Amino acid sequence: MIAVLLSRFSLRHWRHTPWQNLLLVLILALGVGVFVSIRLANRAAVSSFQNFTGALVGESDWIVEAPVGSLPESDLGEIRAALGTRPVRIIPVVETTGGIPMAPGDHAELDRETMTLLGVDLVGIANLAQERGMTGPFAPRDGSFWDELKGPPRAWVGPALSGRRSLDLIVGDRRVSLPVAGVIPTAPGAPAPPPGLVILDLPQLQRLTGTPGRIDRIEFAVAPGPSITERRAELGRLLSTLGKGGERWRVRTPGARRETAEQMTQAFRLNLTVLSLIALLVGLYLIFQALDGAVVRRRTEIAVLRSLGVDASAIRAAWVVEAAALGLAGGALGLLIGWLGAQAAVRLVGRTVNALYFASTVRSAAFLPGEAWIALALAVGASVAAGWWPALEAASVPPAQVLVRAGAPAPGSRFWRSPLAAAAAIAFGLLLSRLPAVALAGGGRFPLAGYAAALAWIVGTGMLCAASLPLASRPFRRAGSGSAPLRVAMGHLLRPSGRHRLAAAAVVCAIGMSAGMAILVASFEHTVRAWVNQALQSDVYLYSAGSRSASAGSRIAPQTWRAIAGRAGVREAWVLSTYPLQLGEGQPTLLTGTDMAAVREHSSLPWAEAPQGEAVFDPDRDEGLALVSESFSERFGRHRGDSLVVPTPSGPRTLTVAGVFSDYGNERGSVMVERRHLARWMGDDSATHLSLFVLPGVNPDALRDLLRREYPGLQVFTNRTLREEILKVFRQTFSITYALEVIGILVAITGIALTMASVLIDRRDELTTLRALGFSRGEIALAASVEGLAVAAWSVACGLVLSVCLGWLLIHVINKQSFGWTLGFSLPWVQLAALAVAVSGAGWGLSYAVGTWGTRLPADQEE
Amino acid sequence: MTEKIDAPETAPVLEALDLCKNYGQRRVLDGVSLAVRRGERLALMGPSGSGKTTLLNLIGGIDRPDGGNILLDDVRLDELDGAALARTRREKIGTVFQFFHLLPTLSVAENVELPLQLVGAGFAPRQARVAELLARVGLGGRSSSMPSELSGGEQQRVAIARALAHRPCLLLADEPTGNLDSANGANILELLRELTDADGPALVLVTHSEEAASICHRRLHLKDGRIVDPS
Repeated sequence: MIAVLLSRFSLRHWRHTPWQNLLLVLILALGVGVFVSIRLANRAAVSSFQNFTGALVGESDWIVEAPVGSLPESDLGEIRAALGTRPVRIIPVVETTGGIPMAPGDHAELDRETMTLLGVDLVGIANLAQERGMTGPFAPRDGSFWDELKGPPRAWVGPALSGRRSLDLIVGDRRVSLPVAGVIPTAPGAPAPPPGLVILDLPQLQRLTGTPGRIDRIEFAVAPGPSITERRAELGRLLSTLGKGGERWRVRTPGARRETAEQMTQAFRLNLTVLSLIALLVGLYLIFQALDGAVVRRRTEIAVLRSLGVDASAIRAAWVVEAAALGLAGGALGLLIGWLGAQAAVRLVGRTVNALYFASTVRSAAFLPGEAWIALALAVGASVAAGWWPALEAASVPPAQVLVRAGAPAPGSRFWRSPLAAAAAIAFGLLLSRLPAVALAGGGRFPLAGYAAALAWIVGTGMLCAASLPLASRPFRRAGSGSAPLRVAMGHLLRPSGRHRLAAAAVVCAIGMSAGMAILVASFEHTVRAWVNQALQSDVYLYSAGSRSASAGSRIAPQTWRAIAGRAGVREAWVLSTYPLQLGEGQPTLLTGTDMAAVREHSSLPWAEAPQGEAVFDPDRDEGLALVSESFSERFGRHRGDSLVVPTPSGPRTLTVAGVFSDYGNERGSVMVERRHLARWMGDDSATHLSLFVLPGVNPDALRDLLRREYPGLQVFTNRTLREEILKVFRQTFSITYALEVIGILVAITGIALTMASVLIDRRDELTTLRALGFSRGEIALAASVEGLAVAAWSVACGLVLSVCLGWLLIHVINKQSFGWTLGFSLPWVQLAALAVAVSGAGWGLSYAVGTWGTRLPADQEE
Repeated sequence: MTEKIDAPETAPVLEALDLCKNYGQRRVLDGVSLAVRRGERLALMGPSGSGKTTLLNLIGGIDRPDGGNILLDDVRLDELDGAALARTRREKIGTVFQFFHLLPTLSVAENVELPLQLVGAGFAPRQARVAELLARVGLGGRSSSMPSELSGGEQQRVAIARALAHRPCLLLADEPTGNLDSANGANILELLRELTDADGPALVLVTHSEEAASICHRRLHLKDGRIVDPS
């Protein structure tokens, strides 16, 4: 029976209106596409955190890393001695990033493209390559290979750069030109090297970075042979013992290291996925509207089928199958759109990952079958869910009622019209908003209850708006006595159909989410602007052009920053030095050294918990004291007066938290101590960045230009250009939310138009009556437009109230729980007013157009 | 057998001359001419597909002929544009449908009042006229009821009141008893006869029913889009 219904009716309708159905499939495909592209881009950005040595010789068994900073090369000798004659390959690694030099005329940018420089022991790698049967420049060794290692630094590059004779890069604070030695070979079965990877011999990269005798990590590969599992485990135990259980170094597998990176970005990726689901929701709403419209158009056909003996369940099943087929078609096309979109989104996501978490060199996203199945299942499942109500509606059509064309449009289910149920949903949301976030492995937090609260408020406010539509129309009922079109419109508004209510709820949802996000972004921008105004007091800022990521290894050498600090025209220099740090169970955060006295003097940090007393700002008294950022305080549960132990190369340091400051630079949090002490603990006096205060009469722009010429390896900003750059990066980070805002507005407007079309098709007998009574086409269109305007205006009003509540939830619950940032609440009045006018105006105009179209509908035929 | 009724000797309010209408290749009306005088009741009869409803739509101004012309109260309908046609409908024509077609979201009184609003009648005259008509159709106490609260016969009485509210010169009724039982049907026919007597509008009644046709002064039989002699 279902097959007959599908082949004789559904399929023929599809053939009859191919463009309409193609549009529907496209809408769904776009929703699925946004979801897929965000997911693929997320996966790609995370996978960019990889063990690059794995690309050379395959996966190692263990990795040893210092909890902060680097390891002394002398550790290698100790480890070798402890290993004795065990057949284990030891691969010391130095890893840093190199920036692409600016072309003349380029302006400085915070998020410049970088390459990953890997320094490995090429002799060791060559031995290992030979053991594993690899071919390529590392394997067949002859005299020339040894000569290359003795000469100036030479780079092995990925296939994309194979034609280059040399490679110009910024490493640390210097510009270097590296001759290209060849293309990186790979281990059998190992993935191709990432395009941004450059290999150098270890001592050569150490010399380039100015860190002779220091290594970032040591990798260990157990020689193949019998009882390898036991030998591998034994090696792990031995390394842990030598590392004093994490005090000297941490021992992890490459898998665990990748997992940490995944966990680090988990909250960020989950938040992005939730945002991308909004796009899917939009597609579903439009599918719902379209299927509902199809039920209306095909109501007579359904009634005839019912009267011929087709039972309700067969009709329902046929509609569900039709929805599923739409989902499948939209999902399949969405996969393609998603994969293409991911190639664009991956740079955007990678940029944020680079700024907040770790250096990301990802440039393209792979097509992942697992993600494809998820997307297809979601598209079909959600499409069936969207088609369920229309299917029920189709099956419940009483044939007699339809065939005689009598009765008012159904007002919708009593439950969805109940203000009490709406109030209960809102109250439930309020309760959810008080619940804590779900703790993720690795220290991340996901505000599941916060998102559930948002959903409850959206549903509750949508229901309340729909239920109150007659109440909101009542004050205008007198308008009906003055004009016939208004009387007709008011009649429908005072007794709205289920479709009117649904459209109102959908507009509330779309406006609430769009405007709520606009409030979040405005509040964020307002707060960041205020923070930048307070934090950025210097005249000129200098960074290494080698990299600017959250895990950047490129630093400004002590002799460089001292020379700049001591030059003529500079009144004072403020040095900042940051190191990635692992605390507790390897949870990543940052350790920052700064001139605390300068913090007090030049920067009025916004305090979450202000220090009591001045000791923390006095270099002679502040050893053992630290300031922590709000994100750190949230993540690690440390507040003023609490203590924490920070591992350093010179031994663990116990610090007392003297105060908690607001910081919007990253979500991992940071521990700030006196730079002088940190330099001593780390055995490193290099800087991450340098802020200069100039003497009166010195032009910061002129000084910037001078410094750029003298130090091509440094990025130099004036106060104004750095502020501009920070806000540019801010807007780039939020660009996806702008796209979602636009999608929200479009769905609101389209939803109103589709609803009015369905409503008018449903009322085509009424249209005939009105025309017979003498209504002109313009008057009928006017009546429809008043209906559309009223639904849009009331829904926009309710949506704006919802948006303020969602804005509060996003700022004070979801953002706070995800990132630990306290933001001030800021309402973008102009933007919200423009949104209200645009949606109401478009609702009015489109309803007028649909009304005009409706007057041309034949009374006794299908559309 | 029904009794013959004499048509009033008044000037024609509606004249249709040589009307033609095609749907695609099919000719639905083929050279139909007729005239109806003020106060006259004309029954249009004929088998299904003979063109009755099409003819009603043409003289009601909701469809346009492909040939011929229609003169309603000295106005050529076939020469009017859409807006002028709508104005003519609202001022000169009242329509009663088989399925009543009351606006379900308006009350009984609001339904009847609607044509008066369209012609720009003032509030007080509108209220008086609505009350008068509802009283005449026997629904004086149901003015605030919604259509869904009325029986089929009551709904058709409201529809007749609405059709006459603005004092049209032509009343069109398309199978007005087709959806009613015989008792209610008889009541409606009696009401139509009563309200179109004396100075009432001309009535063009499309029907299959001999009983309905019996209230009319004259009958026209349509077959295959032409007026034919029933014998």
